[in-house]
Amino acid sequence: MGNLKTGHLVEAGLWLLLALVLFIYSFEFNNSIEIYKFGASGWPRAIILLIVLAALGQLFWHWKRGEGGATSKLNAAADDSVEAPDDHSSLGWYAHTFVLVAIPFVYMRVPDFIGGMMGLPPDGLGTIKMLTAAPLMVLFAWMAYRNQVGGMLALPIFFAALLEDMGFYALAPVFAMGVMYLMGERRIKWMAGVAAGVFGILLLLFVKLLYVGLPTGNVRPFYDFGNWVVTVLQ
Amino acid sequence: MDAFNNFANGTVALFSDPLGIVIFLSGVVGGMLFGAIPGVSMLTLAAILLPFTAHLSAEHGIMLFSVIYCTGVYGGAITAILFNIPGSPENAPTAFDGYPMTQKGQAGRAVGAAVMCSAIGGTVSAVLMMLATAPIADWAISAFGPPEIFALVFFGLAVAASVGAKTIWKGWLSILAGLMIAVVGLDPVGGIERYDFNMPYLLAGIHFIPTILGFFAVSEIMVQAEKKVTGAYSAPKLSVDFPSFSELWAHKFAVVRSIIIGFFCGILPGIGATLAAFMGYNEAVRWSKERWEFGKGKLEGVISSETANNAATGAAMIPLLALGLPGGALTAMMVGVFQMHDMEPGPLVFLNSADLVWVVFAAMFFANLSILLIGFLETKTIINLLRIPFQFLAPLILMLATVGAYAVRGLVIDVVVMFVAGVLGFFLRRTGYSVAGIVLGLILGKIGEQTFAQAMQMLHYEWTGYFSRPIGLALLIAGFLTLGASAYRAFYAAPVEAPPEESKSA
Repeated sequence: MGNLKTGHLVEAGLWLLLALVLFIYSFEFNNSIEIYKFGASGWPRAIILLIVLAALGQLFWHWKRGEGGATSKLNAAADDSVEAPDDHSSLGWYAHTFVLVAIPFVYMRVPDFIGGMMGLPPDGLGTIKMLTAAPLMVLFAWMAYRNQVGGMLALPIFFAALLEDMGFYALAPVFAMGVMYLMGERRIKWMAGVAAGVFGILLLLFVKLLYVGLPTGNVRPFYDFGNWVVTVLQ
Repeated sequence: MDAFNNFANGTVALFSDPLGIVIFLSGVVGGMLFGAIPGVSMLTLAAILLPFTAHLSAEHGIMLFSVIYCTGVYGGAITAILFNIPGSPENAPTAFDGYPMTQKGQAGRAVGAAVMCSAIGGTVSAVLMMLATAPIADWAISAFGPPEIFALVFFGLAVAASVGAKTIWKGWLSILAGLMIAVVGLDPVGGIERYDFNMPYLLAGIHFIPTILGFFAVSEIMVQAEKKVTGAYSAPKLSVDFPSFSELWAHKFAVVRSIIIGFFCGILPGIGATLAAFMGYNEAVRWSKERWEFGKGKLEGVISSETANNAATGAAMIPLLALGLPGGALTAMMVGVFQMHDMEPGPLVFLNSADLVWVVFAAMFFANLSILLIGFLETKTIINLLRIPFQFLAPLILMLATVGAYAVRGLVIDVVVMFVAGVLGFFLRRTGYSVAGIVLGLILGKIGEQTFAQAMQMLHYEWTGYFSRPIGLALLIAGFLTLGASAYRAFYAAPVEAPPEESKSA
């Protein structure tokens, strides 16, 4: 096995798997183009081939050199990688974090799915969306409380997933307080003050001065609240 | 003398137009502020402003972006020095010595050196740009076709892949991942949908602005958050003591060397200013008698890197204006500004709209000069940002990023893409991959594929056609040599141990 560790094999395996999946999907657009000999799939397939070569080259290199270190001083200088702390690199931590990151995607899929089964139009999903969001939020809060870094990774995605429906104006202050909590802040007055200040600056700068339209949401009462804020400011 | 007269006309045009002055000053201050506030960058500002340039004239729009470019590259040095968060990849080497200086309580000296050197490097570069762009544009019209541009993109990516990450493998895989992301959407020749997985969003391709915001701003916040939670985060010490003139004079050779390196690297596509900063830094280490002091807080490290990256700003405008080839994310956005005004950047803009070009050149010259003045005045304000605890800064940065990503096209899914990219960036950086490499691949992927297709059609699918095109051939050979040399080094040279941990992490 030379100097290979399990991590090296997993890394190479992931790249090869990615290459395989991309290669299989490339048949979906394997059309020829009259004026261009290589067609639409020639370029991506060349890149896939290079990915395979580089992944195998890296595996071979690790086999010869072990962990290896940087390949030159310039590489070492350009390297901006971060060491993972020990208690955040266990399999359990990754699994827990993966579930946290998956929660927003559950929200993005489930209401449409339920609505489809019940034959509801896409704009009549408000209640189902709220009923899906509430338990997911509780689950998220419970899990993030136990894994703050995982929560910090997943919270912005959850925020973005809810943005379309609940709007920037209602969510942003809550999001700001959540970020502060996950970063270790516990003083309620400070959190509320900073959230209000940040929110105020953003509203003044973007809504009042630059007229950037931020998402108002499309589920009542969030939609009404968002529109009310915009009307007051403009 | 022609150039001088044109420059004088451009200056008069710039400062006799009240709206132009307002835009110029907003660009100077805005670029510096957004460059300096950790977690946002000049790209955030440029992204937010991009939709609004439709209401400005083409001249004002391009001028605004070029001014933001000059002062933003300097502003990014401030965060690199104070927070170890490079405002953009071109400021990364500034952090190698700048941040250790902050930890030693010498933040003011480092920032002062960055102010002086950015202004010097940028101003000299602007002058060289004015002298060089017109002849190069003239020459490019006859000498540069798609085969040459493809070869140039290939060479740029080869260099970036070889030196951009911890190992050449990780560098290549990062670039290739970026190229693969660029494939998503419509293919550039036949308009065929690729990897859209039946999602309408993916048809338009994955936009580079949310990706950049995610990889650079969001993943950095997450890295800092982890340090904060695990107790590894340490707030920097403060001081405001600018370096003396004699201290800078002692480094005059480093400045001149970095200007030359920076300017020639800046002309390269894709990595211009980034490569410039790294090369400037690396050469400083190589030429130094005290090379082991680098990475521990040596002023010369900051000087070399900051001179070189600002020297690249002017140079980066040459391929954009002379060849229509953006050298980086910001110049790519300038292409967007041109397109909003129904113009294509390239040699023809230079010939047809000389007025526009010279106002932009004059604005860049004066923007670099104003770094000196405003840099010294504003830096103290910015240093006060250090006193804000990071958990209070993080929500502001994340929400600015949200607005920036959303403002590009008004799509919430762009915000989702940005945060997912942030999480990916967080894990990729744990394993030594380069997020800068991915973004480069993403930006140059489309141009690379398009010029490759055109080149192949022109050469009738015969690689041997390059033998009758010496410039393209030379660039291709240079690219392959770069790759070959770094692969050889990976196997046969002694590995380099990573610098000590305290110089790398916040």
